[in-house]
Amino acid sequence: MDIIAFLKSLETSGLATRIRESLYLFPLLEATHVIGLALVFGTIAVIDLRLMGLASSQRSFQRMASDILKWTWAAFALTGITGALMFITNARVYYHNTYFLVKMGLLVLAGINMGVFELTAGRTVHRWDKEPFAPSPGKAVAAMSIVLWIAIIFMGRLIGFTTSRAAVAAPPPSTVNFDDFLPGSAAPAPPPAKK
Amino acid sequence: MNSFAEWLSTTAPSVFIQNHNGWVIPLIQSIHIVGIGVVLGSAFMIILRILGWAGTDQTLRQTASRFSPWVTISLWVLLVTGILMVIGEPVRELVTFSFWLKMVLVAVVTVIATWFNRALRQHEPYWEEALLKRRSVQGLAILTFLLWAGIIVLGRLIAYDHIWGSWSPSTKA
Repeated sequence: MDIIAFLKSLETSGLATRIRESLYLFPLLEATHVIGLALVFGTIAVIDLRLMGLASSQRSFQRMASDILKWTWAAFALTGITGALMFITNARVYYHNTYFLVKMGLLVLAGINMGVFELTAGRTVHRWDKEPFAPSPGKAVAAMSIVLWIAIIFMGRLIGFTTSRAAVAAPPPSTVNFDDFLPGSAAPAPPPAKK
Repeated sequence: MNSFAEWLSTTAPSVFIQNHNGWVIPLIQSIHIVGIGVVLGSAFMIILRILGWAGTDQTLRQTASRFSPWVTISLWVLLVTGILMVIGEPVRELVTFSFWLKMVLVAVVTVIATWFNRALRQHEPYWEEALLKRRSVQGLAILTFLLWAGIIVLGRLIAYDHIWGSWSPSTKA
């Protein structure tokens, strides 16, 4: 089965149909995705700043990592599940969306970045655990991590702007009367924005 | 509020954002989300410490001193980017139930955070020794996390305000 046929079968699955037809499910998936990614970014940033020696530099790195990273992974799982559920509702559109592809590429890079940490500074963690900052490769990984996650957030938001109906709406002229867009007036209301 | 939103949409800053909405609005929204990440992550660290689930090698006061400033700074970033979003899309933002309920919850959570920091400064030993073990304090910590989560949900629902049905001013006939 080729990829497009597979994506189409995802879209026509009962689960995807159920989400598409619901008034609430897609918005709530998006909202849960934001909660998850906020926790992923927020908790990873705590670890990254520690690695760079910019905050919490007097604390044991291993202690912080074991306290915090399990929550990061839990939040990442939440983001992955909600992301996958959003993906299947419109799989072929996302698959052809540049920002989506860039975002997936950046997620892979974030994974590789983590692997680089494990192979470099992570191997000698017992030596610098209580030092104010990690050895240079660890610092570089931490800086790269923050840059990558911010870029991932930006790409995610751009996906929302380029895959929905409201994405390419032209800006209204400054003389537009917004009453015309409100229900109760003669003009028909625009479809609900989804971005 | 409708007429205010309409007036706002005719002002120069609003028109500028509308005319560059291809990149300005996603950019502002993305900065807003990064800010949300910092607020939620920082509040989460304090809440986990109150619950004793993380960071117990630090006192509550140390944990609050480490993370509270980040909550404050990000709230300012969120306020500025939030105002810019309102200026850019006044009707989309202001003529919604989600936006106003979100503002109420933001006010509640800001009061809780301010009260917490003040109370911790004034009664530090009492917090560290007694209050942290109280069920009510732990319950309030969990409630605060749920409030933050609710704020995020409502923020996203601004784009889908019609799901509130007749509660949404944008669907009123």
